Amino acid sequence: MLVAEGLTKSYGNVHALRGADLDVEAGQIVALLGKNGAGKTTMISIIAGLLMADSGTVTLDGFDAQKDLDRASKLIGIAPQLTGVYGVLTVRENLEFFANLAGVPREQRTIEAKNVAERLGLADLLDRAAGKLSGGEQRRLHTGCALVHKPKLLMLDEPTVGADVATRAQLIDFVRDTAAEGSAVIYTTHYLNEVEALDADIVIIDDGQILGRGTRDELVDQHRMQGIEFTMHDELPDSIAQQLDAVAVGPSTYRVSRQIPVGELIAGLGPLSDQLLGVETLRPDLESVFLAVTGGSLTESDDADETVGT
Amino acid sequence: MAATQAILGVQLRMIRRDPWFLVIMFGMPLVVMPLFVKTMKLSLQAEGFADASGAEQVVPGQVVLFGFMVSGSVAFSVFREHGWNTWDRLRASAAPPASLLAGFGLPWIIIHVFYQVVLMVVGGVFVGLRLRGSVIAEFLVILSYSTCLIALVLFFTASLRTINQVQAIVNLGAMVFGGLGGALVPREQLPGWAQAVAPFTPSYWAMEGHRAVFLEPGGLADVAKPVGVLFVATLVLAGLAVKKFRVDETKEFFA
Repeated sequence: MLVAEGLTKSYGNVHALRGADLDVEAGQIVALLGKNGAGKTTMISIIAGLLMADSGTVTLDGFDAQKDLDRASKLIGIAPQLTGVYGVLTVRENLEFFANLAGVPREQRTIEAKNVAERLGLADLLDRAAGKLSGGEQRRLHTGCALVHKPKLLMLDEPTVGADVATRAQLIDFVRDTAAEGSAVIYTTHYLNEVEALDADIVIIDDGQILGRGTRDELVDQHRMQGIEFTMHDELPDSIAQQLDAVAVGPSTYRVSRQIPVGELIAGLGPLSDQLLGVETLRPDLESVFLAVTGGSLTESDDADETVGT
Repeated sequence: MAATQAILGVQLRMIRRDPWFLVIMFGMPLVVMPLFVKTMKLSLQAEGFADASGAEQVVPGQVVLFGFMVSGSVAFSVFREHGWNTWDRLRASAAPPASLLAGFGLPWIIIHVFYQVVLMVVGGVFVGLRLRGSVIAEFLVILSYSTCLIALVLFFTASLRTINQVQAIVNLGAMVFGGLGGALVPREQLPGWAQAVAPFTPSYWAMEGHRAVFLEPGGLADVAKPVGVLFVATLVLAGLAVKKFRVDETKEFFA
């Protein structure tokens, strides 16, 4: 369905994408997982034709999407990161407008608008002004507007940012249903629990590069973190850290990338062992995979500015 | 073309839902018109139009002046798409810049023509404006002024980054162009330098056309020059707007 190869994009001296590849099959959900600023939005913006890549190709259903934007736009539905609906128009009018914009014939627009509204739990709100919807309802409408022309490739950029728990669950169900009906879905996020709930193929992106891809289980198997993390009251002297093969991963927090008994750790710390505040065994999960692949944590970006768009 | 038609329809619908700006823009000239009729009557009589009522200057003058301010709305309608985060959604349709601009410009041409026609009719009822020339000629003057102003504001929209910049230019343009073009007072009363630069303003040509059908029994031939100038200016400004317009440029709505 989609093959993007060697995509690069720079904004001045900032390299947003550095030769990124991505392919998605019909009916497949690909979760593009990365911190804010990793390059997720730039990548889907290029695929959607909103940005031109400095180099690289985007092939959609066998044709060059960058050379035939009009044809590509009919196959792609994109819900950008920030909620964009017309507050003075009703839910129905919003959906019908975006269907019209995508070239859906007049007689089909009403039907498609109703279908999408039903699937997103907005059927009872069709005649309500979008500006009078709750934040979660607006978010669902925003997503629906991307889908009303039945695109073969649906791209959702951080669709659950700012959404309540119920809306998150509803959107995830919706994405799974959409893929089950045959659409390819690219879902950017930095929420690990969503990636697991989607049962998606995970693509890890960091600093404009694709660093890993696979199912959750495959990635955990490939990048399983072995070892322990321990926290000291004060920073360790370099000599002790080197002796233990411990790497600082936070303020006075260190990681040893092999399983060692606590007794061995205490012995290694010697007189500093009374400053040991806690020891944790690293569990094989997506967070540890992300740490292993990118060298940084996703959780630190969870509350970051959602408007960052590179 | 499909994008133009879709945007045109939704823009007209949004204007109908929130018409208060237009209501105010209708009200303001109606308040001003009666205040200046007597003064303008004397002024026009001094020019040699013995049976002028004054409405022949006041009504078209106010229409030209406030029409400039109304035309600024086309910029507002483009910029607010950025404020509403809907601009990228429009761009995702892959519509070319000219189609997008046409989608925003056409509804405002329709409304601008409607605005002028209504004010002229109301001016007839309340301050005695009487058409001496051809109604078709007057309609062409109105239409050409509308297209010229909307094209001019679309050029500002393409060239400027913030809505505040556009509003400042439109407000300044309304007063300066209106003053120089003879919308405030007959241009014969303006200083020589102002009369010399007046032909470079759309207001001047609009007033030329209006005077031909309200002060004299002018027909199509009498308005051909002002209408022609305004239509040519429309094409030039629309072309410049399309050339200058970058769909991927971020506009600041809340600047």
